Amino acid sequence: MTKAPVLLRLRNGIGHLLDIPMRPMHATAGLLLIMLSLSACKIVKTETVTTEEGQATAGLDKIAQLAEDSFAAKLLPLIDTTALDIAALRSAIAADLDGAGAKHGNRGAGQGAAWTFAVKGEGVVVSANLTSRARKAELDTDGDGSADLTLLLGPVIAGTALRDVAPFYDFGSFKDQIEFAQLARALNDKASPALVLPEGDLTGKRLSFKGALALKSAKDAFVVTAVNVAVLP
Amino acid sequence: MNLKRRLLMSAVAIAMVGALPSFAAAADTIAIITPSPDNPFFKAEADGAAAKAKELGYEVMVMVHDDDANKQSELFDSAIAAGVKAIILDNAGADASVAAVQKAKDAGIPSFLIDREITSTGVAVSQIVSNNYQGAQLGAEEFVKLMGEKGEFAELLGKESDTNAGIRSKGYHDVIDQYPDLKMVAQQTANWSQTEAYTVMESMLQANPGIMGVISGNDTMAMGAYAALEAAGRKDVIVVGFDGSNDVRDSILAGGIKATVLQPAYQQAQLAVSQADQFLKTGSTGVDEKQLMDCVLVNGDNASKLETFALAQ
Repeated sequence: MTKAPVLLRLRNGIGHLLDIPMRPMHATAGLLLIMLSLSACKIVKTETVTTEEGQATAGLDKIAQLAEDSFAAKLLPLIDTTALDIAALRSAIAADLDGAGAKHGNRGAGQGAAWTFAVKGEGVVVSANLTSRARKAELDTDGDGSADLTLLLGPVIAGTALRDVAPFYDFGSFKDQIEFAQLARALNDKASPALVLPEGDLTGKRLSFKGALALKSAKDAFVVTAVNVAVLP
Repeated sequence: MNLKRRLLMSAVAIAMVGALPSFAAAADTIAIITPSPDNPFFKAEADGAAAKAKELGYEVMVMVHDDDANKQSELFDSAIAAGVKAIILDNAGADASVAAVQKAKDAGIPSFLIDREITSTGVAVSQIVSNNYQGAQLGAEEFVKLMGEKGEFAELLGKESDTNAGIRSKGYHDVIDQYPDLKMVAQQTANWSQTEAYTVMESMLQANPGIMGVISGNDTMAMGAYAALEAAGRKDVIVVGFDGSNDVRDSILAGGIKATVLQPAYQQAQLAVSQADQFLKTGSTGVDEKQLMDCVLVNGDNASKLETFALAQ
């Protein structure tokens, strides 16, 4: 909905370029005025226009670049090397979420923000919704026959766990919450193509997974944003 | 009307400033500056800050800038002149407020921002920002689910001059646009207004009788839209709002509007005062300047726990 200001580039009689930003509402009147008063000038449509929209695009490019540069090079290795087994995490947070978080996790920006952990594990699929654009599987990871963990399988991935698990993405170094959110989305989009599942029903199959999990309290349901999932034989 | 109210507010501010010296010796004062309490969200914010400040032994000086940056600047002058120890602020513009906060800083008074961010860092001590983008994503995820990932929908946008109107819309579309079977057939501003949303919704519905859902930039517009849908016999249309007002809570509980997103205004304001208190006592808040505060989805499952922008545990 951002209205890009109209920008006119005029070449005056001695060859200088004049850039004239105009509010859209006044653009027509302004154009008439300029055409009347500068009838000798040639009006050239600009190719590179620096507008608010242009800057937003530049911001987005910057974020896309950051995701591109860091996803495979830093984020995936971080998850690989620090992933805690889901059973170990369960017992650590049962004792003390903040302690477990400080030791194994990373806290997003701000007080009350969730602790985010890199996790890995295996489980049997109790049920799965693979027809949604946001596919998910409910897993039993502790062998009691009931589902205790939700695995997000894309292609639409919600949440900010992949961003928040990494200490090297710091909210304070982003312009605003929009840029910071764009990073989370860019990282989710990078994770999505790797989540390839076999055709057909997953129920009863054993999956291994690796990913990130955000917890605000020890009682929160486990919802893991996967970066890697495989069906075990 | 407006002038009268401004004069009244100034008079209140002056009266408070005038009254200060009598109790300044007894206790330190924290200034609380917010937009108009006509919107219950900002009232909850000011109330939360004041309650916490009093609990911690401070006097409070509560002022309203009415989203007018010039007025905000005057209020900062009043607060500085009154010798307040700290300022809690929900600001009147991301760019325009930097100078006012800097002015206080130069006078040795730390500012603690709530709800909205400003465009500079290192000027305020804390910026506790409502994560409107995350909140909008939550609302959109619920909307997508309620819609069954398909169908025609309309969007009501907030006031264009308000940063949060754009942030929320972007957050909505970040999620919804990933579902190709969800088609936006109408998008229009209703300027945060309930009555305007009613008429906008009426005309949207006339032009697009196939609408199955409405996603709204705030709760007052959601209320207006739902009233129009109800009048047109279209209570089947899914409406999702934003703010977590008591009106929408009641509508959710009565089976009307389906969901909203709570910004924890009361809690956020209290947190800012706690950080101010710690800063005054120790010289540090112990946390980063910019802090995001997440929003919470409110639907039929938890609406009954919602009261004045706070969820009971």
